[in-house]
Amino acid sequence: MRKFLVLALAAAVLALSLTPAMAAYPEKPVKIVNYVAPGGLMDVTSRKFISIAQKYTDATFVVENTTGAGGLVAIGAVLEQPADGYTVFAATTSVVDKVVSAKKNIDEMVWGFEWVAMLMKDPECVITAEKGEYDTFEKLVAAAKKEDGRQIWGGPATGGNDHIFAQNVWAAAGIKAKWLPYKSGPEAMMGTLAGQNAAYVGNPADTQGRQGYKIVAISSPKRLPQLPDVPTFKELGYKGLDNEFMWRGFAIKKGAPEEAYKWWEELNQKVAKDPEWRSFLVRDGIEVSDWGRDKFSKQVEIDIAAAQRFLKK
Amino acid sequence: MEMLNSLAAGLRNLAGIEPLAVITAGVIVGILGGAMPGVSPSMAVAILLPFTFGMSPTMGLVMLCAIYLASNYGGSITAVTINTPGTPSAVVTAFDGYPLAKSGRAGEALGVSLVASVAGGFVGIVILICFSAPLAKFALKFWPAEYFALAILGLTTVASLGGGKWLEALIAVLLGLMLNTIGLDHVSGVSRYTFDIIRLYDGFSFIPALIGLFALSEVFANVEEGNFKAFDKVSDDKSISSWPSLSTYLSLKWGMLRAGILGTIIGVFPGAGGTIASFIAYDVEKRLSRHPEKFGRGSLEGVVAAEASNSSSVGGALVPLLTLGIPGSASTAVLIGALMIHELRPGPELFSKNPEIVYTLFSSLFVANFVLLVVGALGSRIWLKVTMVPKSILYPMIFAFSIVGSFAVRSSLFDVGVCVAFGVAGWLLNKFHYPSSPIVLGLVLGTLIEMNLQMTLLMDGPAMLFTRPLSAVLLALSALSLCAPALRGLRARRNKKADKA
Repeated sequence: MRKFLVLALAAAVLALSLTPAMAAYPEKPVKIVNYVAPGGLMDVTSRKFISIAQKYTDATFVVENTTGAGGLVAIGAVLEQPADGYTVFAATTSVVDKVVSAKKNIDEMVWGFEWVAMLMKDPECVITAEKGEYDTFEKLVAAAKKEDGRQIWGGPATGGNDHIFAQNVWAAAGIKAKWLPYKSGPEAMMGTLAGQNAAYVGNPADTQGRQGYKIVAISSPKRLPQLPDVPTFKELGYKGLDNEFMWRGFAIKKGAPEEAYKWWEELNQKVAKDPEWRSFLVRDGIEVSDWGRDKFSKQVEIDIAAAQRFLKK
Repeated sequence: MEMLNSLAAGLRNLAGIEPLAVITAGVIVGILGGAMPGVSPSMAVAILLPFTFGMSPTMGLVMLCAIYLASNYGGSITAVTINTPGTPSAVVTAFDGYPLAKSGRAGEALGVSLVASVAGGFVGIVILICFSAPLAKFALKFWPAEYFALAILGLTTVASLGGGKWLEALIAVLLGLMLNTIGLDHVSGVSRYTFDIIRLYDGFSFIPALIGLFALSEVFANVEEGNFKAFDKVSDDKSISSWPSLSTYLSLKWGMLRAGILGTIIGVFPGAGGTIASFIAYDVEKRLSRHPEKFGRGSLEGVVAAEASNSSSVGGALVPLLTLGIPGSASTAVLIGALMIHELRPGPELFSKNPEIVYTLFSSLFVANFVLLVVGALGSRIWLKVTMVPKSILYPMIFAFSIVGSFAVRSSLFDVGVCVAFGVAGWLLNKFHYPSSPIVLGLVLGTLIEMNLQMTLLMDGPAMLFTRPLSAVLLALSALSLCAPALRGLRARRNKKADKA
């Protein structure tokens, strides 16, 4: 009997000491690795996300910026870390496109991650200068047809998601144009205002606070309530451009404890409902998303396929 | 008048302990961050970014701008005392600052660099406040063709960097340009000389290369010579700790003004920035100087050109940020991020919706500049002590800082290797009398030249370089600047012949 009691006690003590340890993710600071420089879009997103996440968790987050090669350096750096769930990669569609366009190993550099939290869908759109010649999409297309391939569209890097989207738009509208890659999105926008390019491919947030720009077409199923005057591609009569967007989200290396992945999925669901987070994004025409591994991974598959189609062209 | 009132209102917002404490903290952090090799102004601003979350948007912005302003000066401290530019834009400061320190005039160099920074800063801010709208319009006239031409003009300054050794300088600048071809081609995405090493996709990191070329190579050279005397033992008198006199400052005033204006204007163009501004200002000042032979050997005018122009570029870089919402430099990109986190819109909307923030920011820049002068003057007495440290202690420390600094940029061991490799290369080049500064020029300008040329060709072919007036003027200036020394040489020879005859 006494033996049994001792055993039971020991078991109880063991259980007590084990349970908190099991449920304790995160028990040390979580590092979030950005692939963009401080002040970049994903950097701002990560920092805003953790400032709101602090309402729902006591976890400590550390944001790091590991820039280079459009995210490939950061991917390498994260995959070098142990698979314990304490290093989180802050990614966007562009990074996946970069892996494909640089002809890197997709199984390793994309599927070496669990895609745990998709935070948002930022619709793609075509932006022109408000006082320029092309203040509607029709005028832009008509001019492109007349110029027969000499019209210039601008944006960031060759082969990025904006470039891929531009090619889809050209195909749908039956036009040819040139892609002028700038060092950064804002510099390309300055080029639009300066008359260097006819149109800039980006997202609605790009026009916020800046004067002299006009969104002439947006890729979303319906008009956005924040931008009631901006027509969708569908309304303009172009097919297959209803739901093209850039996502931003978090990924964690494969092989980490299941609870780490779950913790992030649940955290994203809580933050996605937060009014402050929603208002931060919605005012820019961004749709808040709470997708976890299943849906997010499917989206990543879609993006890989699109980037591969682009490469073949 | 209305603007003066707004500025005065902004100044009133800054009265009180908290705003002054915020500015002073920003200035101190900025100086220290700038002085630390491996921490660039944009990193210094980014590191402190999270601290501003708890502040009001205005105070947060005021603090970040104070850091930005001060870190541009901080870089010059280590450039002067240990030949290690703490920031890329302080490279040019080292050209004359370090020779001054070596000859026992560190006090003068530090004093002049501080005053030139503050004066340049003021010029930049005044231009920002008075002329931001026309400057923004001017910036829109700059197409890739103009950027290309500006970078070519920058490249012609190599003539000033080599002293008499134009052939060696030319080879060094070509080396820099060639090193710049490493990485992914921006326009076509083709990978060049990367050997499939992902760390090389963006080419060599600039800061580790810089630390290697300047700091490590100097350490290697001195170790080789077995020269371990402290600088203050170089001269017998106590001149090391003597500060420049008021008349010295006054004699340099026009240089400060010219370099300040030039720095602001070049700072306006996104992607050009303080580093290119300081190279061009240095070149201009050398050409205008009565003692061009002193440049590179310890000229106070050279220090003034470098520091006034890189500090004034801060005001310039804020022009596109406030008028167009476009960041003019890496540091202003962080400022945009800060605005967004505080749920403000960068750009012209700020003027219409939150004018009080804009004018408080303007006023705070003046205050920060003043604080910089005070803190810098107090601090210089401490920096000066660096030159009294025996080199047997100083050099191991520089070596350690170089390794840590190059690692810190991207937390990458690869960059440490880059730093050491550039250190060895710089030491060898100097040993065979090749100057290392043109390599930096090539590294700074290479990408700008190549990318903008490619973009111009993509847009409308080579004719565009000459049909756009601004681009044509800049290219003509470059040609003149290249031919001037040759023409002068010819004329001198002809005169000699005439004398003989």
